[in-house]
Amino acid sequence: MVHFVNVTMAYGSHIVIDKLNLHVEEGQLVVLIGPSGCGKTTTLQLINRLIKPTEGDILVNRQNIKNVDPVELRRKVGYVIQEIGLFPHMTIKQNIEIVPRLLGWDEERKAARTEELIQLVNLDRKYLKRYPSELSGGQQQRIGLLRALAVEPPIILMDEPFGALDPITRESLQNEIVALQKRLKKTIVFVTHDMDEAIKIADRIVLMKDGKIVQAAASKELLSNPANEFVEQFIGRHRLYSGKADTVADVMSDEIVCAEKTLSLIEAVALMRHKKVPGLFVIDDTKKLQGKVSIEQIRKSELSEQDALETIGIEQICPAFENQSAREVFDRMEAEKIDALPVVDEANTVIGVVTRSSIVRSLAEVVWGNQS
Amino acid sequence: MSSFLTELSRNSHAVLIAIGQHIGLSAVAILLGILVAVPVGVLLTYHTRAAKIVLGIFSVVNTIPSIVLLGFAMIFLGIGYIPATIVLFVYSLLPIMRGTYTGIKEVNPNALKAAKGMGMNRPQMLRLVQFPLAMPAIITGIRLSTIYIISWATLAAFIGGGGLGDLIWMGLQSYNFHLVLCGAVPVTILSLLVSFLLNHLIKRASRHKGKEVAT
Repeated sequence: MVHFVNVTMAYGSHIVIDKLNLHVEEGQLVVLIGPSGCGKTTTLQLINRLIKPTEGDILVNRQNIKNVDPVELRRKVGYVIQEIGLFPHMTIKQNIEIVPRLLGWDEERKAARTEELIQLVNLDRKYLKRYPSELSGGQQQRIGLLRALAVEPPIILMDEPFGALDPITRESLQNEIVALQKRLKKTIVFVTHDMDEAIKIADRIVLMKDGKIVQAAASKELLSNPANEFVEQFIGRHRLYSGKADTVADVMSDEIVCAEKTLSLIEAVALMRHKKVPGLFVIDDTKKLQGKVSIEQIRKSELSEQDALETIGIEQICPAFENQSAREVFDRMEAEKIDALPVVDEANTVIGVVTRSSIVRSLAEVVWGNQS
Repeated sequence: MSSFLTELSRNSHAVLIAIGQHIGLSAVAILLGILVAVPVGVLLTYHTRAAKIVLGIFSVVNTIPSIVLLGFAMIFLGIGYIPATIVLFVYSLLPIMRGTYTGIKEVNPNALKAAKGMGMNRPQMLRLVQFPLAMPAIITGIRLSTIYIISWATLAAFIGGGGLGDLIWMGLQSYNFHLVLCGAVPVTILSLLVSFLLNHLIKRASRHKGKEVAT
């Protein structure tokens, strides 16, 4: 739908866009993102020729926009800006009907379209007669969006449209734009500097730096396969998927409750009570796994409180190995109804524990990313 | 007071004619002023440097006492209605030009950004966005000009322009204080009336402009 072919844009010797090649497919919501000064807004404004490229070609709907009257072009491309830019002296209805008016639609057609539009965003009809200053910021930007949709342009450009809204309003508008996009199948090019927003709404994220594309990919791909250090840094490590739940090391937790075999029974019971666990993994003084004891075992034994754990008869267990497949361990825990398994390295040293909740947590991270 | 009213009723016919002349003189000057100053003000917004020069020149002109300018007008253009009108017209230009220029310059750039992005061409932007939003400032300029012109039109009598200044002038020459009032009171009322009317218009035009749209 939108093709950039070797597009360069420079102010004198300062290169803003550097031989950019980009293809935005029909019906996709593509987010341009990057640090300020990376050229994302410039890229957007090249599409409706608010800015003219120094070199290269831009094709919109297979037409080279060099050969199109910019005013005509802009009427066919929706445009939503951060500052909203509703006209304060016009009613909401008049604001929505600006482009239809420029295109010379008759009153009837304009009115019918406006009715259709206002229903898209769950705004009451009564707002049509009001003036922009009587609406909240969120409502104003909804109108800004409707204004861009008025003549059903196949392409809509959005320049940080939700940047000035409070977080709650922003979130609800993000949801709306995703829903609208699904329904209306518009091609949307969306500029933001907010990675969370990008991940939430984008079919494809184009990360830019110094007028160049660093990586362009679906958000999942970007998060699991960042192209380089810059991408990783920009996305923020906390958002990156550890990506996997392949091996035991991926799904284990290091919060294991161990006791040395020389610990007295009374101390072992106190430890279990404190950690709220029904059993302990027993290790020697070099953290080698010895086995486990349960609270039941201690209760049934007739030993004195001061006797050491090792005297009770430690139950041998087969641990999980850190590089073993997580799937295997999970299946075994299911089959043998085990709640927790110690994880050891090649030297039989205890390094962690796999529990049902540690597995769930790791899987959640793969699905939703690390939110903490 | 009563002798003023006697004087007024004795001269009522002359006063009415003078009021008519006064309004005619001012109205022609101000209408010509609007016709010229508004388009020039708009043009100046496209060229900031030219704007500075033109507005500068007119500021200087407007500091020349009107009586002096009227004197020059008499020397070069003779006496009568037309030279008086021309002088008043020249005086009316600056406030209207400045009002138009600043009004349009101060239109919220976001509205312009949106207008351009939606595919308005220059004339459409001017007609649909810049002009309506600049209207309060333009009318403020017109109001200022009109009030100046109404009061300065009294001086037009010096070069035979007619109007209420004639009565004042005659009254001064004949030490007839009440005759002076016959000219001065209507001029004052006229000024206040016009000021009130235009203020009302400004309020109407800026109804929605006062509350800026959230950005």
